[in-house]
Amino acid sequence: MMRSIFREWRFLRRDRAAWLWLGLAFIVSLTAVTLGLIEIDNQRKELADLQTLDAAERAVVLAEQSDWGSAGYYTFHLTADAPSDFAFAAIGKRDVSPWKHRVRMLALEGQIYETDASNPDFALIGRFDFAFIASLLAPLFVIFLLFDLRSGERAAGRLELLEASQGQRSLWPIRAGLRIGLLTLAVVLPLWAGGLWSGASALILLLATLAVALYLVFWGVVSLYLAKAKWTSSVNLTVLLGVWLGLCAVLPAMLNTAIDRAVPLPDGGEIMLTQREAVNDAWDLPKAATMTPFIERHPDLAAYADVGESFTWNWYYAFQQVGDQTAEPLSQAYREGREKRDHLTGLASFISPATALERGLERLAKTDTRAALRYEDSVRDFHAELRDYYYPRLFEEREFSVDAAADLPQFDVDDQPETRS
Amino acid sequence: MSAATRIAREEWRQWRRSRLAVFALSIFAFLLLITTILTATGVLEDRHDRLHQQEEAEATFLDQPDRHPHRMVHYGHYVFRAPAPLAVFDPGVDTVTGQSMFLEGHRQNSAMFADARAEARTGGFGALSPAKLYHLFLPLLLIALGHAAILRERESRTLGPLLAQGVTGAQLFAGKALALAGLVAVLSIPALAASLIGISLGEPLLSAIALYLGQLLYLGVWATLILLVSTKVRERGLALGVLLFVWVATALILPRIGVTAASASLPIDGKIATDMKMKDDLRKLGDGHNASDPAFEQLRANLLAEYDVESVDELPINFRGTVASQSEADLTDTLNEYAEARMAQEAAQSDRLNRLGWLSPYLAVGSATRNLAGTDLRTHHRFLREAEGVRFAFVQGLNKAHIEELSYADDINRNSGEEGWKRARVSAENWKVVGEFQFTPDPATTRLNRAMQGLAALTLWFVILFGFGLTAARRLAP
Repeated sequence: MMRSIFREWRFLRRDRAAWLWLGLAFIVSLTAVTLGLIEIDNQRKELADLQTLDAAERAVVLAEQSDWGSAGYYTFHLTADAPSDFAFAAIGKRDVSPWKHRVRMLALEGQIYETDASNPDFALIGRFDFAFIASLLAPLFVIFLLFDLRSGERAAGRLELLEASQGQRSLWPIRAGLRIGLLTLAVVLPLWAGGLWSGASALILLLATLAVALYLVFWGVVSLYLAKAKWTSSVNLTVLLGVWLGLCAVLPAMLNTAIDRAVPLPDGGEIMLTQREAVNDAWDLPKAATMTPFIERHPDLAAYADVGESFTWNWYYAFQQVGDQTAEPLSQAYREGREKRDHLTGLASFISPATALERGLERLAKTDTRAALRYEDSVRDFHAELRDYYYPRLFEEREFSVDAAADLPQFDVDDQPETRS
Repeated sequence: MSAATRIAREEWRQWRRSRLAVFALSIFAFLLLITTILTATGVLEDRHDRLHQQEEAEATFLDQPDRHPHRMVHYGHYVFRAPAPLAVFDPGVDTVTGQSMFLEGHRQNSAMFADARAEARTGGFGALSPAKLYHLFLPLLLIALGHAAILRERESRTLGPLLAQGVTGAQLFAGKALALAGLVAVLSIPALAASLIGISLGEPLLSAIALYLGQLLYLGVWATLILLVSTKVRERGLALGVLLFVWVATALILPRIGVTAASASLPIDGKIATDMKMKDDLRKLGDGHNASDPAFEQLRANLLAEYDVESVDELPINFRGTVASQSEADLTDTLNEYAEARMAQEAAQSDRLNRLGWLSPYLAVGSATRNLAGTDLRTHHRFLREAEGVRFAFVQGLNKAHIEELSYADDINRNSGEEGWKRARVSAENWKVVGEFQFTPDPATTRLNRAMQGLAALTLWFVILFGFGLTAARRLAP
C-alpha cells in the first residue's frame, strides 16, 4: 500500500498539469481567505467606530432633552451582530441581511427591515470567499485533476499494461485519492492559517476541513465513476463539466425557485407599510382607538388610559406600539416563512451537495439564516427592554434628567457571539 | 462550394455524428429555452403588476377624504418601476434593487421589495437568467465542442493530407471559424427571441439589435479564442487546460476579485455613519413641524416685512404651511446632497470594476448587456432621482395647499377638540398634486453610448484573437 502511494507520488511529481491546478487552487484559496479576513477586519473596525460615535451622539442628544418623551424620540441605540472568528470563511448572510441597526423607541417594524444596501452591480457578481472556492471552484479542480486519469493512460497506450500489473481495484482509487488529498490540502491550508490568525476554534476548523474533504471526495468518486477509460478525454471532460453545471448551478437555482415559490412570504416592505399606515392613521383616529389595544397589551398601565385631547408623548408611543401590533401577524408570517424556507433548504441540501457545503460552512461561521434570525431576535428583545424602561417613566410622569437617564438599556454588542453560540 | 464551407460542413457532420455533442447541445438548448421562457414570463408578469399597482396607488391617493394637508404628506404615495422590455434577457440589477418606492414627506426611502434576505440560501450561482447562461456557462459548451476543431485534424493525421491537397491554413481556419459561427448562430436563437419579445413590448430596434449583436460578439470572442488555442496547441489535454484556465480566471475569479478590490479601494460610507452625519446637518435646519423653531426666525421676519404686518396670525397666508414648505425645500437639498454623493460613489465603484472589462470579456459583456437592456446601475439611479422628483413635487403641492387653503387660525386650533380637528382640513381636490408616473428606459442611443466601452473591449478582443488565430493558421504545418 505504502509502496503504491510512493509510486503514485513519484508519478504525480512529473504531472505538470496537475501541479498547475493544485497551485491555482492554493492561490485562489489563499486569496479568498485573505480577502475574507480583510472584510471581517473592516467590519470589526467599522463596528468599533460606530460604537464610539453612537455613545458620543447619545450623550450629546440626551443632554439637550427635557423630558422622557423627547429623550426616547431623539436617542438612537446601536445594535450589531459582531462577526464570529470563522466568519471570514463564509460571509454568507452578512452580505444581504443587516448585521447592524440603530433603533429607537418608535415602532420597531418600521426600523428593523432597513438595510445597508451594497452596490447592486457587485451583488450581481457575488463574493470571493472561501465558501465560494470550496463549494463551486474546488469541484472544477477535482474534475480537471481526474478527467483523464484513465482515458489519458489509454491514449498513451499504457492502460492495459497498468491494469494488468496492478489490478485496477487499487490503482485508480490510490491515484485519485492522492490527488484529492493534495487538493484538499491546497484548499484547506490557507483556511487553517486564516483560522489561526483570527482565533477560530480548532473544532470549527476541523469540522470545516472534514466537510470540504468529504465534498471533494464526493466529486472525486463522481469523476472516477463517470470518466470512462473507453471514452476520449474530451468526452470525459465534457460529461463532467455538464455534471458540475447541473450540480453547482442548475440544481441550486431550481431549488431556490422551488423553495421560494413553495413558501410565499409577505415582504419586509409590506410589513413596514402596514405599520406606517397604522401609525399615520392614528393621528386622525379618536385616542381610544389607540389606547384600548395598547392597554390590552399593557394592563399595568390601565390607570393611565385617558391621555386627554391634545398631543402627549404617552399617546404618541402608544400608537407606535399599536402600529407594531397591527403589523404583528404579517411580521410573524414573515419570520415563520423565513424559518420554513431555511428548514426546506436544509432538506434540499440532502440532494444538492453544493448547497450542503455552503450551508455547513455558513453554519460554522454563524453567517447563516439562523444567525441572522437570532440577531433579529436580540434587536427585538432590546427594543422591548427600551419600552419597558420608558413606559413607567413616561406614564408616571417622572422627572427627566441626564443623570436619571444614565441607566438607559444598552445593547451589548460584544456579548453577542458568546450568548448566541 | 468553397474550401471553407466544405470544411465547415465536415465539422458540422462531425458534431452531428457525435452523440455527446448532440446531447450537450440539446441539454443547453433546453436550458436556454426554459430559462428564457421563465425569465420572460416573470418579467411580463412584473410589468403588468407594476403598471397596475401604479394606477392603483394614484387612485388610492386621490380617493382620500378631506384632511389636513400635512396628514397627506405623511400618508405618502408610491412609485413603481416596471421592468424594461429587454429585462426579459437580463433582469440585471432590478433583481437586487427592488422596483418600488414609498414616498413621503421629510425623508427619502430606499427602493423596496428586493428581499434577498428572505431568499432560500441554496448556494450555487443564484437565479438563472438567459444573460447568465450566455455569459457564464455557454463558453463551456463552446470549449467542449470547439477545442478540437483544428487539433483533431492534427491528431487524426488528416492535417498533412489536407494541406498537401492545396487547402491553405487560412482556408482551414476560415472553415472552422464558419463551423463555430454556425454553432454560435444556433445557440443565439434564444437571445434573438428575447430581443424580439423586447421589440414587441415597445423596445426600439436599435437597442434590441445591439443587445443581440453584443451576445454574438461575446460568443465570437470565445469562438476565436478556442480556434486560436486549437491551432497553436498540439495536445488536446493542454488545449482544454488552457481554455478552461482562461474561463475560470476571467469568468469566475477576476470579476469577484474585482468587486472586492473596487469596494476596498473606493469604500462607500455605511448607512448608519451617513445617517448620523446627515441627522447632524438636518438638525441645524430646524423641525418643519414646529413653526416656533428658532431656525425659522428669519423666514418669519421676512414674511412680516413683506406683508407689512405685526404678527404671523395677521398674514394672509398660513405661516405654518410656509415653514413646512421652506423646511421641506432645505431638507430636500441636504437629502439630495447625500443621495447624490452615494450614487456618485456607487457609480465610481462600478466604473472601476468595469475597467477590468478590458481584461475579462465576461465583465465587458455583462455591463454592456445591462446598459443596453436598461437594467444597469445608472438606470436605477435615474429611477431614484425621478422618484425623488415625484416626492418633492407632491409634498410641496400639499404644502402649497397648506399655505393657501388652510387658515392659520384653524391650523393652530386643530388640537382643540373635535370641532377644531374638523375645521383644520382642506378639500380632497388638492390631492390632485400627484400626477401619473411611468418610468421608461433611457433612449436607445443613450444606452448604446453607455455600452460602448464594453462593446469596444469585446471588439478589440475579437479582432486581436482573430488576427492571431489567422496568423497562426497561415503558418500551420502538420
